[in-house]
Amino acid sequence: MIRGIWDREMVALMLLAAVMPMALIWLWYGGTAALSRLLLTLLVAGIWHLLFMLIRAQPPSFAGALTALAVAMLAPVELNLFQLVLGISFGVVMAELVMGGWGRNVLNPATVTLAFLGFGFPAAAWPDLPLPVAWAAIPAALMGMLAGVIPVHILLAGLLTAALALGAGLPVEPILPVAGLVLVLLVADPVASASTRAGGWMNGQLYGALMTLFAMYWEQTSPVQMAVSAALLASLAAPILDEIAIATWLQRRRGRLG
Amino acid sequence: MSRTAILSTLVDPLIRQNPVTLQILGICSALAVTTSVATALVMSASLTVVIVMAALMISLIRHHIPNAIRLIIQIIIIASLVIVIDQCLQAYLPDISRKLSVFVSLITTNCLVLGRTESFSRLNPPLPAMLDALGNGLGYSLVLIVIGAIRELFGAGSLLGYQVLTTVDQGGSFTPLNLMLLAPSAFFLLGGLVWAIRTVVPEQTEELEHTPPEMEANRE
Repeated sequence: MIRGIWDREMVALMLLAAVMPMALIWLWYGGTAALSRLLLTLLVAGIWHLLFMLIRAQPPSFAGALTALAVAMLAPVELNLFQLVLGISFGVVMAELVMGGWGRNVLNPATVTLAFLGFGFPAAAWPDLPLPVAWAAIPAALMGMLAGVIPVHILLAGLLTAALALGAGLPVEPILPVAGLVLVLLVADPVASASTRAGGWMNGQLYGALMTLFAMYWEQTSPVQMAVSAALLASLAAPILDEIAIATWLQRRRGRLG
Repeated sequence: MSRTAILSTLVDPLIRQNPVTLQILGICSALAVTTSVATALVMSASLTVVIVMAALMISLIRHHIPNAIRLIIQIIIIASLVIVIDQCLQAYLPDISRKLSVFVSLITTNCLVLGRTESFSRLNPPLPAMLDALGNGLGYSLVLIVIGAIRELFGAGSLLGYQVLTTVDQGGSFTPLNLMLLAPSAFFLLGGLVWAIRTVVPEQTEELEHTPPEMEANRE
């Protein structure tokens, strides 16, 4: 997709700029520990992008920094160096680079990394994100939507589902901050989410519905794990949601035009 | 049959024509039984015995098999062999037999076995048929044992039951990767193995189904 100045790297840079509020507030609260973690994930993702550029002539992308940021923020906290490097290598290589780089991936590499770490090391505790980081997701989402790099329908559908769940009196309140943050950071990814309008609505609703379900019935886990699992499942379902959207559109068109 | 032909019938299926990594046959059992080297070994041995015996029998009666019901006859022969193997395992290796559960019986429907009897043993004399079956059985075994070894080593820190890496629970420094003991890891490992083999042997690479559009670097 190249339209004027809008090539792939421009989208990646705008996304990076949009998530800056979250990143900065997270760094402010996390201090040097958070900074060193971010540097490590940036380094590992960067090395893989560099290797794929050198060996397979695949242009590197600033989206690698986005993955690194999401992993640094959401990965389980007690992992040692080897486990973290293994997880992020798996996510970046298997979910993004072997598919041909950012823009051709089916799943968000950060989601895959986090799910891999969660299943691989179930004993490690998930992070407790400070509340202001979740508040920072709101300006991040607004900036992303204004720049047109975060799909609006998915965010709106997610919010709508959350509002419905709250209105119905379901116990979703404790997970709302993390659910919103992950919605902005992982689910509303312009590449790995549904790309038709109706598909986007269904994608956001599916994520919201899964979060509600997990909040009600998944005991002994942390909100981050619920959100990552819901993001993974919603992202896996995105192609079929697009397919459904296109099929219904064709059906309606056939009904109208005969 | 010349000597080189015999040798290539036997050796080709190990890497060059490997049934699992090139033809992607027999994946289901390759994923299910590779959590430890012991189960992988027993499964490989059972499959190799079944495929060689089936090749011999089908090759011996190849001129008498009516074409219309040849698949039924092949499956009857394979299934009888599998039942014998399964009973032997239950009698002599009850623990491993319990771990392998239904997967030994499922050798009957393993596409690898039926694929070789249908495409090779049915048309060739007994000796080459058995050699081809042995080669394919060994190729399957090779993949199973490699994946089983990786999964057991990183999932439990042991190999064939001997503790190689001391885990954190035992006072060591190795944290077992639980994911390795779950089925998805076998998919990842098998995919990685196929990737590695095709990097070394590029002629195995399939042709592209789509050609990506050419990118123009400087568009006006």
